[in-house]
Amino acid sequence: MKDYKGKIKSVKKISIDAYELLIQSDLENAISGQFISILCPNTTLRRPFSIAGFDKETKTLKILIKLKGDGTNYLKTLKENDEINFLAPLGNGFKIENKKSLLIGAGIGIAPMLFLKDELKNKNIENYLISGFKAQEEMIEGSDKTVIGGSVLDNLDEIIKEKNIEILYSCGPHIVLKLVSQLAKKHNIEAQVAMEKTMACSIGVCRGCIIKINKQGKIENASVCKDGPVFYGDEVIWE
Amino acid sequence: MGIEKLKTVLKNKNRSLTLKTPIISASGTYGYSDEYEDFIDLNCFGAISTKGITLEKRLGNDGDRIFEVKGGMINRIGLENVGIEKFIETKLPILRKKKIDFLLNIAGSTSQDYEKLALIAQKNNIEAIEVNVSCPNVKSGCLEFGLNPNSLYDLTSKIRKNYDGFLIVKLSPNTSDIKALATAVEEAGADCISAINTLRGLGIKLDWVGKKFIKKSVQGGLSGACIKPVALYMVNQIKEAVKIPIIAMGGIEKLQDLFEFISVGADAFQIGTANFINPSICSNLAKELNEFMIKNEIKDFEELKEVIKND
Repeated sequence: MKDYKGKIKSVKKISIDAYELLIQSDLENAISGQFISILCPNTTLRRPFSIAGFDKETKTLKILIKLKGDGTNYLKTLKENDEINFLAPLGNGFKIENKKSLLIGAGIGIAPMLFLKDELKNKNIENYLISGFKAQEEMIEGSDKTVIGGSVLDNLDEIIKEKNIEILYSCGPHIVLKLVSQLAKKHNIEAQVAMEKTMACSIGVCRGCIIKINKQGKIENASVCKDGPVFYGDEVIWE
Repeated sequence: MGIEKLKTVLKNKNRSLTLKTPIISASGTYGYSDEYEDFIDLNCFGAISTKGITLEKRLGNDGDRIFEVKGGMINRIGLENVGIEKFIETKLPILRKKKIDFLLNIAGSTSQDYEKLALIAQKNNIEAIEVNVSCPNVKSGCLEFGLNPNSLYDLTSKIRKNYDGFLIVKLSPNTSDIKALATAVEEAGADCISAINTLRGLGIKLDWVGKKFIKKSVQGGLSGACIKPVALYMVNQIKEAVKIPIIAMGGIEKLQDLFEFISVGADAFQIGTANFINPSICSNLAKELNEFMIKNEIKDFEELKEVIKND
């Protein structure tokens, strides 16, 4: 982990309020579930973004941003060759297992799922990505199945049975991750979920992004930025 | 890295503390020991003030702990920490082995907590402690001691009895009379004052979702660039009241800020929120300060202070 200077290769609009940024830097390694934390000149704190793809040869990172506030509205204005400063690679990513995988991305939570799908494909692990968006204009491409409007969760029971799914991976709002974890328990399979929480330092020092986890029967604090952002669904104490 | 001009001696009539530079990382923003090693050489700045340590381990507050505001942030961590025993066992050896200078930041709920912590610091030959009497985020103790001159005098005296090292008391700005608090601390035998801790603040966010407002609110300690004018005012007031050295903090993020704080009486500085924005800021500031002094033929940090005060 260190701070990098990145050069913007492209900023592309991918939905009504989301953009894809390609960033070239000296970063040599990253895995899905890890994130970067970008310095934005108009905000106090850095902004964390899941890594949505990484090309080792060209050392190019991909992130997806959804317009929410000052940070993301600044990032969308960046042009080719603009420089940014970011900390990377941050946190613990998904621990890929050689099992039939179901990937569930809710909203902008699709970002790390796209990267994970690349990794699974490279390892020849059978996988299926389902994603959900509130409306057609918010849709981001790259899934095997996309749910618009309804809940991405409604289809999962069926898919798990039909495809003999052995593991779930997910990223999205807290409630989705909670339900995905419950679903995994019901089907007696493992779930790995990438969590989100407002962060200050993004490297585990300030203790700002704490969740509760169950560690061998004991309730402990865990930081989303350093101990996570990926946790096993059954270790998180869901609020 | 050039820091040769930055040697800083915090001294009063009884004791002194020598630092490699006047730049100290503020409690709660730098971990316990070597967490920032990836970003800077920890031997290149004055000291780290450790995360606030209590007698027993604390899990801190539930719910949201961070809220960003214009020019700053509000935190309500609630003194999550490993507890003194584990600190001594696992973090102190790292600090000693890597020769990282540090201030042990301590906090308690009762006067006895502070006395015990002071004794433990004494037994472990800890060179300097910073007493947190001003955390706005814990329900009992702490801030209550910090806002009443009489109880602060008593508390500081009791700590002084148990601890013979360099005793720093960190003051709260959440008071109408900082001078009375500073005087109480000095009279009770403290060697140095650090100020300011965070200001009380409330962050509110209302989002219109569907057909109703969803409210998020975080009440806690406000820090960052937005509190600098308050900090300058408070340090100026403290300087008028006491003779012991002052470690100033509150919104420092650039070289100019250091000069401004020197002009109101700072003898050293702590950097807090800015570490979250730029993890290398402490070493960068030390380096910039050193370069400024070389370029402008200022002999040492003492002379810099004189130059600023006389202008």
